[in-house]
This record gives sequence, structure tokens and C-alpha cells, in this order.
Amino acid sequence: MKAQADPHAALHRLFLTLFLRGRSARGRTKDGSPASLHRKLFMTLLLYAAMGCLALYFVRQPLFSYAAYLHAMTFASMGLFVAGSAGEVLFCREEADILDHRPIAPRALLWAKVRVMVEVSLWLAGAINLVGLLAGLFVLEHGLRFVFVHAASTTLLALFTAGSIVLVYQLCLRFFGRKRLESLLTLTQMLVAIAAVLAGQLPSMLSNAKFSLPVSLSFRTGWLAFFPPAWFAGLDDVLCGQSSMASWLLALLALAFTAMVAWLAFLRLTQDHGKGFQTMGETQGLTPASRAGVSLLNRMVNRPPLSWCLRDPVTRASFLLTAAYLLRDRDVKLRVYPGLAPYLILPLILIFKVSGGLRGRSFALALLVAFLGIIPIVAQSLLQHSQQWQASDIFRTAPIPGPAKLCDGGRQAVMVLLVLPVLVVISVVLFLFPGDPSRWMLLVAGFIAMPVAARLPLGTSWVPPLSLPAEEAKSTDRGFLLFFTTAASMLLAGLAFAAQSVGMLKGFLLVEAVLAAVAYVLLRRALSKQCWAAID
Amino acid sequence: MIQLHALTKRFGTQVAVDSLSFQIPAGQIVGLLGPNGAGKSTTLKMLTGMLTPSSGTATLCGHDLLTETVEVKRKVGFVPESGAVYESLTGLEYLEMVAALYGIPPDAARARICQFLAFFDLGFDTLSDKLLGAFSKGMRRKVVITAGLLHNPPLVFFDEPLDGLDANAAVGFKALIQSLAQDGHTIIYSSHILDVVERVCDRVIIIDKGHLLLDGSPEELVAIHGSGTLERLFTDVTGGQELERRAQDFAKTFSQ
Repeated sequence: MKAQADPHAALHRLFLTLFLRGRSARGRTKDGSPASLHRKLFMTLLLYAAMGCLALYFVRQPLFSYAAYLHAMTFASMGLFVAGSAGEVLFCREEADILDHRPIAPRALLWAKVRVMVEVSLWLAGAINLVGLLAGLFVLEHGLRFVFVHAASTTLLALFTAGSIVLVYQLCLRFFGRKRLESLLTLTQMLVAIAAVLAGQLPSMLSNAKFSLPVSLSFRTGWLAFFPPAWFAGLDDVLCGQSSMASWLLALLALAFTAMVAWLAFLRLTQDHGKGFQTMGETQGLTPASRAGVSLLNRMVNRPPLSWCLRDPVTRASFLLTAAYLLRDRDVKLRVYPGLAPYLILPLILIFKVSGGLRGRSFALALLVAFLGIIPIVAQSLLQHSQQWQASDIFRTAPIPGPAKLCDGGRQAVMVLLVLPVLVVISVVLFLFPGDPSRWMLLVAGFIAMPVAARLPLGTSWVPPLSLPAEEAKSTDRGFLLFFTTAASMLLAGLAFAAQSVGMLKGFLLVEAVLAAVAYVLLRRALSKQCWAAID
Repeated sequence: MIQLHALTKRFGTQVAVDSLSFQIPAGQIVGLLGPNGAGKSTTLKMLTGMLTPSSGTATLCGHDLLTETVEVKRKVGFVPESGAVYESLTGLEYLEMVAALYGIPPDAARARICQFLAFFDLGFDTLSDKLLGAFSKGMRRKVVITAGLLHNPPLVFFDEPLDGLDANAAVGFKALIQSLAQDGHTIIYSSHILDVVERVCDRVIIIDKGHLLLDGSPEELVAIHGSGTLERLFTDVTGGQELERRAQDFAKTFSQ
């Protein structure tokens, strides 16, 4: 008798392949043959392993602090990674037509997806912790035991992180229903991204305080109980370190919360996942686009000052298209807002965290300058991609010589709908920290750089919004582009800060303004001359 | 084979399918017709277990749709209108994955896939080497049809199956579903190409705004209503009589 195929193994293999290859293959290779996964995976793991080298800075600290650092970095990275991919993995709209009529129980489907998410999370966790584990093996007192204990606690942390995100989605679905699920998915991913960034602050809080875990948690140290990475560090401390009452308490929290989250997410609420998956395939009964939002957009583009900037019909059409996707498209919202969340929250953390007097706050302001340059670049880079990228063929069939006006419209939508609100929030926060107004001059360096940064080509040439496959948004090339952008912005911030420190800020701003004006004119001219690139 | 009793689907306040009731015996090819938004796809999605009915009952192959959904899905093949596939899998990987979901052993799955390849005149190398994202629309449609029939289901639902198929493949496909029906398979065929439905189906069910309008053999319905063709009958009962005059008016005003 022939052995029956195992549907569970088939589902696992399917989702792992999809996770590694991406869901859309269109436009990836000319001959349509499967692209090599090894390079992509290797580069990603290498990037995470490089991030993990920071562990060397903490390895001489007490075991709890060291473990807390490793878990905080792992939690932040895994949280961002899982939050960024969970929406697509758990509730892919097209998937309903492929799988929903097959004989698979909702629980089997959910488990296969979660198993892949946990598995990939563990690979990333392994890469991030690699250097830390090796350093711990040679430096810590019970090095070998630490390696095994930390590997086990990291596995639990991966389960907790993936489970928490699945649980949040299922709770949203259960209590808010289908109609609000899509907007909630975006909000949830943003909040998870912000939580991951906040949790990533744990190491610096511990190192600032030269922290050693007390025997028992007091009012002063009780905040540790609110940081999940601290729970798992407690587990490491119990089995390899001082094993105090406090570490026992934190370890118990780690075990209890992981068990609770896993039970709720993977057992108790799996039926909700089935319902949610089913409703993704519904084409009727969807909430219509917000009339208020649409009419507000129309009023905005028809009135000054926006009507002055959008006199050209192509620019105006591109503005409205980009704005509509920013407000309505689930895929774009899930990519753009959670992708931007860390860049929005970090400047605020910097302002709140710095307590080192005038000089410290000035440095925070200088970093704000850097982020002002990064936000439009990141937003535009994320907005180049869409699941409906093939619809952008209409740009090429229209009588337009090149992408310049379309890029202009997309950029203006980013500036109006994303950057402007951020500037308002930052201004309000700065207003709450009154001080010498001359410090605010630092921000001018960011304002001057912003028009140039927003016009930079995000690759070898300018690309209109929503015209690249969604899968390419995750490429490691884009990661490197963002890395270099961040480095360049930080350099500008550093120069501005240094100029202010030596009393030459005004001169620096003047030079920057001249250089920015030249760059602006050159970029504008180059963009207007660019013709359509050949289609692969 | 299929029994529906007052099957209803509501989306909020909107009623997409309203108390639909009919029975279909084994071996029949039934055309499910209706204008856009009539509730055809919603009906098919309910009968394939993809949507839960708001009220009413249905029995397929002796299994209750609401309480034995997985068993129903095992007996049903569905070719959706969207033609959705996992584009980053090769055709072979996709079909083998589908076969595994029905518990078909790998060797048997490969043999069945090769049968379909031969029928559709597809090359094995193309299927095994190329990602589905690189397939033409017609080739992808052939893969989706294969994925719907691979487990040899007694009950098959087709939603616009000819979309993208070339003329030869379409002729072959029509012959295939007639052969399947002769072998005892029951087929529900939803399409807007009415002359094909008229030639292929033993019976047509016309619905509009979620309600059943007509049910009978094409010849019988055309004769009763004196319409001449199924297409004319369809436009008569779904309010499309004015379309030709409106098209002429539009052409005049548009070119002015």
C-alpha cells in the first residue's frame, strides 16, 4: 500500500518556500526560473550577525545585563521582522482562492504558518546571538552552560514573540471584526514595531545604570517586569548566574507568559484565524473608502498652497494615486507605516531620554536632523512597491516622456501626508521642552537637506510610485541603501552638531544651503531629462 | 448530489444570495448564470466551503456543508475565476503541493499530473523549471484547472474556466467536462459565455440579485419564453434589452 502524502508537511514546505522566495515571482527573473535563495538568505543572516557584534561591548557586564542585552536585541529584531511579515503570512487575500476550498482545518493552516515564522525567527535569532554566544562561551564563568541555556531561552523568546503577534491579530479579529481588521492590522504592526524599538532601549538603560540585578524586585527596579527581554534574561540568570529571587520572578514571568500566549494564540483562538482567513476572500460588504478622507483630499488639492504645486495634471494624478494608496491599500499601509514607525519613535525617545543638559539635548536635536532627512527617503523607497505594480504600465502607455512628473506627485504626497504630520508632532514635543531657542537652529540643517534628500534616486534611476513588485521591498539591496542613507544623514547631523559646538553653525548652514541649492538644481534637471528605463 | 435549501448569504445589510433552493443529481452539467453581482461567485464560494452561509442548509455528496465542511471540501474540486496561484512556485511544485493536501501519494500525484500535461499539451520541463509567475495566462489557467481536478472529485465547480484559454484548449476543455459528466461527475459551470453554456450544459440556473429566476434545460427555457437563443433569454430576464440601443446612443454622443 502506498504511503499517503502528509498535508501538514506539504503546508510547512509551502509556507517556508513562500517565505524565502516571496509570494510574487513576477518581474524577478527574465526566464522565470527560481532565483537562488542561498545568497539572499546568507546576506540577511550576515547583516543580523554583524548587528550581533555589538554584544562584545556588553560582555564584561553582569550576566543578567549581558543576557538582557542579547534578548532585547533579539526581541527588537524578531519583533520588527515578524510584525513586518505576519500580516502577509497570516492573512494573504489571494490565498483564500487557492487554499480555502481545500480540505485543511484552520488550525493546521495556522500552525504551518506559525511554525515557519518561528523557524525563520530562530535563524535570525541564531545570527544575532552568534557573536554573543561565542563571547559568552569564552568570557563568562559558566560559558558552556550559558550557551545552552541562552539558546533555550531564545527559543522560548521566539515562541513568545511570534505567539504575541498572532494573538494580537486574533484578538483584533475577535473583538473588532472583519470591517476594521485591515486598518487594525496596520495599527497593530505599527504598535508592535514601536514596542520592539522601545524594548530595544533596555540595554542602554541597564548600561547607563551599571546595572546588576537586585536580590528582589523593588519599586525602583520593578519596571523590569514590563520588559519581556528582562524576563528571559531572568531565565538565563536563574540557570547560570546568581539565581536571586528577582531572577526567579522574571523567569517565572517568561515561562508563564510564553505558555499563556502559546495556548491562546495557537490553540484557543485558532477558529478565529479560520474565520479571518475566510473573510479575507470576501469581495462584498467591504467598508467603502472613507468619504470624509476622499473629500478632504479633493479639497486639499483644489486649494492653495497644494493647488499651486499640483498645477500639472500628471503630477496631480500621481499625488492622488499615491495618497489613495497611503490611505486605503492594505499592502502599502502594512509596509509603509510599520516601516516608518521606528524612524518616527526614535527621535521622540531621544528627546525624552536625554537628560544631560544643554549639550545632550543638542545632540538629540542633531539626531532629529538626521531623521528629518531619512523619513522622506524611507517613505518613498517603501512606496515604490505595490502588489498592483503591473498597473503602472499605464504610465508608460500614456504620452509622458519619463517618470519625472509622476515622481514629483508621489514625493509631494509623501511630504504632505507623512512628513508634515511628523514635523508637527516634533514641533509640539520640542515646544514642551523649552530652552534656548538658538538650539533649534540645528533643525534648520535638517530642513535644508530635506528637499534634496526627497529627490535622491533610490537606486540607479528614479522610479515612479507603486511601480515595482511588492516582493522587492524586502530585498537586502534596499536594506543596504537604507543603511548608507542613515549613515549619510548621521554624518550631516554630526557635522551640524560639531559646527554648533565650535560656534560656527550659521556658517555651516550657509555652506549647506548653497550646496543643497546646487544639488537641488542638478537633481531636478537630471530627473526631468530621465526617460523610461527599458522593461526587463 | 447537491441539495440547497434556503441558502442565504448576507454581508452586513446587503443580501448577496437570498434563500436559494435547488437540487442537482449526479452526472449533470449545470450552468449557473447571472449578470455581474448576481451572487454566482458567492454561491460557489458557499458550496465549496470558502464562505459560511448566513442561513439555510446544503448537502453535497451526502455531507452537510455546515457541520462536515472538511469532508465536503475533500469531495469538491473548484476552479476559481481569479486563477490565483502561488507565483513563486514552479507549476510542478504547486501541483504536487495541492496533491499532498488531498493525501495523494507522490508517485500517484506525478502520474496524474503527467496525464493532465499530456491532455493540455504542456511540456514537463516548462512545468518543472519555470515559476508560475512567468507562465502565460492560458498556461496558468491550465495549471489551475489541473489543480481543481487532480484529486478526481465527484463534484466540480468551474467559475469562468475558459478565461485565457486559446481556442484549441477551450474545445478540449469542453469535451473534457462532457466526458467527466458521462463518468458520473457533477459539474457546476458558471460563465458569461452563453453560447458555450448553451452547448455544454444539460441545465441552466439563472440568478439575479441573489434570487433564483429560472431553472431548466436550455432548450426547454428558450422554447417556453420564445427567445430563440439562451443569450436573448438571458437579456430578457435580467433586464438587458435596452443595451443595444444604449450602445448606439453612446457611440453617437461619444464621437461628437
